Amino acid sequence: MSLGHNAWPPGNIRPPDDLQESPRPVNGLVKTLSGSRTPQIRGSVGAEGQNPNSTSEADIATEEDPRIAQFRELYRRSEAKISLLFSGQELDDDTVGGPVTEEVKPPEPHTARVDDGPPSTAPRKSARKLDDDDYDDYDEDDDMEDDAQSPKSKPAAPHDPAGVASLAYHPSASSSSGPDETKETKKETMEDLRKQLEEDKKSTEEAARRSFHTIFYTLENDRDAMLDQQRLEESERQVEAEISGQANMGGNSTQGASNGYSSLSNTNLGASSLTLKNLIARIDKKRDRVQASDAELRSLLSEVRKNRSKWANEDKVGQEELYEACEKVLSELKAMTEHSTAFLTRVNKRDAPDYHAVIKHPMDLGSMTKKLKGLQYRSKQDFVDDLTLIWANCLKYNTNSDHPLRKHAVYMRKETEKLVPLIPEIVIRDRAEVEAEERRLQLAELDGAEESDEEPIMASRGRKAPGKKSSKKGTAPSRNTPSGSEGPAGPPNTQPAPVARADSDAIGEAAPNGFSTPPPGSHTPSDPAGPGAIAMGSQDEAMDIDGPGISAPVLSALSVPGGVELEDPEYKVWKQVTKKDRALIAAERHRLLRGDKLNSEEPALLRTKAGMRRWLRHQKLATIEADRSRDTGSHAMEPEVASETLAEGIEVEEDQMVPFYYDVMSGVPDLPERLLWKEDGQGNVVDASEEFLRILPKGHFVQPDSKLTQKMNANIRQMQETRKICSKIGIVKQMQLQSQMYQNQFQKYQPEPFVEQDAEPHVLNDNGPVIAPWACRAALQRSVAKIFYHTGFEEYQPSALESVTDIAADFFQKLGSTVKSYMETPKMPATENQDPASPTAEWKPAYTEPEIILHTLSSVGVHLDELELYIKDDIDRLGTKLTAAHSRLKSLLTELLRPALEGGEDGSNAFKDGSEQFVGGDFAEDIDEDFFGFKELGLDREFGLSTLSVPLHLLQNRMFNAANPQSTTVSQSVDLFPPPPPYARISADNVSDQIGLLHSFFKGKLNTSRNEALVEDLELPPKQRPMAAKTRLPPSGKIPQQGLTGPTSSPQKRTASSTASKTTTTEPSKKKAKKNSGIPEMPNFNPDGEGDRTADPSGSVNAQLDAPVEGADPIATEA
Amino acid sequence: MAFQVLHESLLAPAIRASETHKSHLNGRMANGFKRRMANTFEKMMFVSGETAEPSPETTTLIEEITRQQVIEILTRSTALATRRGVRSISTDDLIFLIRHDKAKVSRLRTFLSWKDVRKNVKDSDDKGGGDAADFAADDAAGAVAGPADVAAKPKNKKAKVGLAWDVNSFYSIQIPEREDEEDEEEEEQNYATLQRLAAADERTRHMTKEEYVFWSECRQASFTYRKSKRFREWAGFGIVTESKPNDDIVDILGFLTFEIVQTLTEGALKVKEREDNEKNRRGGADAGENLKKRKRETGLFDPPEEGRTPIEPRHVREAYRKLQATPQKAVAMLLHEGRIPARLPLVLI
Repeated sequence: MSLGHNAWPPGNIRPPDDLQESPRPVNGLVKTLSGSRTPQIRGSVGAEGQNPNSTSEADIATEEDPRIAQFRELYRRSEAKISLLFSGQELDDDTVGGPVTEEVKPPEPHTARVDDGPPSTAPRKSARKLDDDDYDDYDEDDDMEDDAQSPKSKPAAPHDPAGVASLAYHPSASSSSGPDETKETKKETMEDLRKQLEEDKKSTEEAARRSFHTIFYTLENDRDAMLDQQRLEESERQVEAEISGQANMGGNSTQGASNGYSSLSNTNLGASSLTLKNLIARIDKKRDRVQASDAELRSLLSEVRKNRSKWANEDKVGQEELYEACEKVLSELKAMTEHSTAFLTRVNKRDAPDYHAVIKHPMDLGSMTKKLKGLQYRSKQDFVDDLTLIWANCLKYNTNSDHPLRKHAVYMRKETEKLVPLIPEIVIRDRAEVEAEERRLQLAELDGAEESDEEPIMASRGRKAPGKKSSKKGTAPSRNTPSGSEGPAGPPNTQPAPVARADSDAIGEAAPNGFSTPPPGSHTPSDPAGPGAIAMGSQDEAMDIDGPGISAPVLSALSVPGGVELEDPEYKVWKQVTKKDRALIAAERHRLLRGDKLNSEEPALLRTKAGMRRWLRHQKLATIEADRSRDTGSHAMEPEVASETLAEGIEVEEDQMVPFYYDVMSGVPDLPERLLWKEDGQGNVVDASEEFLRILPKGHFVQPDSKLTQKMNANIRQMQETRKICSKIGIVKQMQLQSQMYQNQFQKYQPEPFVEQDAEPHVLNDNGPVIAPWACRAALQRSVAKIFYHTGFEEYQPSALESVTDIAADFFQKLGSTVKSYMETPKMPATENQDPASPTAEWKPAYTEPEIILHTLSSVGVHLDELELYIKDDIDRLGTKLTAAHSRLKSLLTELLRPALEGGEDGSNAFKDGSEQFVGGDFAEDIDEDFFGFKELGLDREFGLSTLSVPLHLLQNRMFNAANPQSTTVSQSVDLFPPPPPYARISADNVSDQIGLLHSFFKGKLNTSRNEALVEDLELPPKQRPMAAKTRLPPSGKIPQQGLTGPTSSPQKRTASSTASKTTTTEPSKKKAKKNSGIPEMPNFNPDGEGDRTADPSGSVNAQLDAPVEGADPIATEA
Repeated sequence: MAFQVLHESLLAPAIRASETHKSHLNGRMANGFKRRMANTFEKMMFVSGETAEPSPETTTLIEEITRQQVIEILTRSTALATRRGVRSISTDDLIFLIRHDKAKVSRLRTFLSWKDVRKNVKDSDDKGGGDAADFAADDAAGAVAGPADVAAKPKNKKAKVGLAWDVNSFYSIQIPEREDEEDEEEEEQNYATLQRLAAADERTRHMTKEEYVFWSECRQASFTYRKSKRFREWAGFGIVTESKPNDDIVDILGFLTFEIVQTLTEGALKVKEREDNEKNRRGGADAGENLKKRKRETGLFDPPEEGRTPIEPRHVREAYRKLQATPQKAVAMLLHEGRIPARLPLVLI
């Protein structure tokens, strides 16, 4: 089992198992006789003797007498004393060992046993003392009562343990009176030892915990720990699987039986618990008055009972305790993965083909677990025997002395020896048996020595029980027998017990217990624990609690001093204490990964409050001694501590043995002092923000005020001014071309000077630059736009601006990264000749700042000359050019405006037009603002809303006239003659002044207009004037005869003929004539004004009629 | 002949174009033009400082390089014009290509303004009478070489050639010219021209009459004067760009071609000079050639031009390589994780 993979060395001579087994019966007897064997001899036998030793021990146990046991006990004790002297040598013997000669020398197994003896027995007793419980009471009853049990226990019964003890002790003669006292003291020392062990373990654990903070352990062993742990779990799973399989297949009957049995026997509820004992007794006494059935009672009581472990079985007294302890020991041994790995599973035939030939009774930790789960152990001895069998098997098979597995086996054996004492000396007995005994004891107590007086209920139970038990018992041995060493373990186990019992009896401890001296034959092996049980009422509970807590640390604590390997003890403690946790953590870690990738299936890692709290606590502990100055920090954490208790209940805080830094998930970063949540005396939060918040200084996002900026701004402003002039020139030019102006024809061009807008007030909490890409980009975009404007663009398309901004940003990023790479160049020694390796060496940056800038510029192909040239050419010279352009354009504008301003040569006309605004003189001077004001006024005027000055209108007129010299000459020629005074309107008063011919006509007109003054056609707006029907060219293209006259008649002819004819219709024809002559019609120019006065719609019609007649003459004359 | 033409056509598409054109002409004429082109190049190189007789290889190499440059100029300016949405190249396109070389732009502007003057004179002469035409023609021939004949400046007003990116174009209104303002930047930008003139003056100072006649003849060498059509064929008009360019464009191209030849020749001369210096230095160490070299060294009374060797193709190649070196600015945006392309565009000389 232990050496599955190690083939047997072919050349090794090895005695078969049979040879060893045969002398066993003899061994037991002879042993006492050969008690004088000295350790020295045994030393020569060495570790190899271990193997047969353990097996033989088990064999011996089957037939051993209590008396012999007594002898052996004594012998062991004396030997222990001797061996103390040679303990150092023993150790060597254990490990080194030599060829075995036990077969020849029967005593040797015994002597070898001495090795185990002293350490193993001593703790065992102490353990029993503590661990034993109230079942003891019943044991005796059972013994007396139960016949079925008797075959086993009877052999022991006849011998009075006390007698045996006395017998045993006296012959030993080494210390006739001493044994009792030593026993007594021993018991105490055992207890002390146990306590001490516990304390040791606790202190080691504590020390380890403390030291965890001081040392950072690497994780390199975690993987091994994890693999070991996995192997362990694998073996356990295997065992589990096998057991369940067994249960399913063959184990059905037994399981069912035991189940039925347990359910039945559970009726004996009372006996299962000490606390309920009296209650149960009471109930039993008044059983007839209790209405409830047995089943009901049972369920009631089972509810009342405390939690029991999985091993709890109502029918098996002591099983729970024994198995708890055994399981712990077993798991502890398994957990020593460094050494136990090889023993975890059964030896495979493939690995060691001849293994089964050599080892008749293979055993391994996995099988033991299986057996444990199958409830196959009936006593501690069974269990211990199996353990020793494993190591023995290993040592037996691997005879080669430097075989590595031997080392492991020896180590494990040592560990086993340390652990075994923790298992209470319990022999499992059936409930009924125990209860019967208890009953008997009670009776004895009550009635003196009446043994057989039983209550009906108990009797019935007692009768029932044996039947079940027998069946159970039938199975148990059958199961036990194959393992050989296990089955018979019971009797030997009982042996030390009577001794202890005898001791307690002798001292009279039993009496105060309330247990009257039991009948000699009824003494049970488990009795010795009685006193302890009585002393502490709820011992089993205590055990329940103690057990788990103790086992692991105790072991590790124990293992520290006895470390086989030469390692740093601290590191070793670390490894052992934290192994399991580390393995778990490593497994966790590995589960998160699949292959080399993160496993996405795994649930997310979430940090928990409890974890972080633990982390903080640990860290605080670790640092608290380091500096007291962090008091403020811990003080600040107090509020958290208060809330801790609240959350405590919610989240289970599992205490792990690994230092806090293992728990990466829960790590809390060091917070800067200023971010801590601080509260003052009143519980108000102290705001520390003033200390680190700052406002972004102004001017961060505007062009810094420099000469360059000023020049650029001046240039831009200059351009704006010049553009203003340009727009005026444009208007003036337009005026020259157009005869009519419209509202909104010219957009007012009044550019504002550019002002760079800074970012809004902004609060920062750091000293770095503002990380606001959008703001930075906007600033860059503005700069780009500014340069654009400076280059002469007036407007830009957004897309163009965007793309240029992108390019600029890209370029500046290149610049930035180049600067960065120069800045990050490794530093150089400050002086030439210093040693760069010396720590005191002074370092300086590889490049100074100007160097960095110059290097960067040259790497992007920009040279200082070019920059200078840019400033010189594109800014300075541009400025002068712009100024020149401005002055030129201004003079151009003045030039253009001059004719309009001067009007005539003397400028007198300017005032004639009634434009008061021109009185001031120089139009060009104040043209800036008023220009547009004039325009607006002029437009108003055009709408007839205002009769005020008409500057724009006039201006436009002048411009137009100036641009069109022909019309100007006409108007100027007209101006030579002052216009005649306008005629008065014809009204009822002055109608008589008109020529008589028209009197009737005018009077008719006046009548129709109700004596209002008649309105001249020319005073009407052009559209309302009664227009004479124009002669049109017919579609034929031939001018009709009558129509020829109008267009072609010359003005001279026309006037002549009209004056000659003296018709009243001269005006329309005159108009036509004027038009035909190509002279623009001017309102002032009206030489035939009088004629017009008389004109009216009807008159014009007449004229129309006359026209053809008149027109005929000129053509005729011309022709 | 046809085969030869085909064979040559494999060398460069531009060559093929012009050659196919030429193949319509008779062979004698084509050869004659070739010879005349080579002659022109030689004359220009002579003006640019090359004193000795260059080998045909050198001349051909320079011609090819120059033609490549000219074709590149045409291609790019055509692309620019296309981008503006115009089919034909304008003066601005050509000037835009050389905008970074301010001195060259300035020279070109001077050239254009003089050309304008000449045209005005011609116009007025045409009006006034035909006898002044010869004078104008002579003037035009000399103008190619720059303001050498400034003395013959006519009374006509010198028109300024505006640039699209000048201040004048900032505004919607044409800024009126003013006579009184002197353009000081032109003075500065003419520095290189003045340097060249000074060098030419130095060279011609000791010339005999015959030599000077030859010199002035060389100075009048022009690609475009009275052979405009051939030049257009040579430069790939009709292939690279439209075949009927503006007269200005051809003149500007001729001017630029002359500039290219001059730059190349000067560069090659510089290379040769350095090579000679190096050779002399090494020669001093080398005992074998020591005497020979020493004899070669220019003495006080040695005629300055006699002992000189002509530039060789390798000098021209080296000069070309130097001129084609990628300026750092062109790859600035490719810094940091940018990749410099395997082939950078041709650098215009």
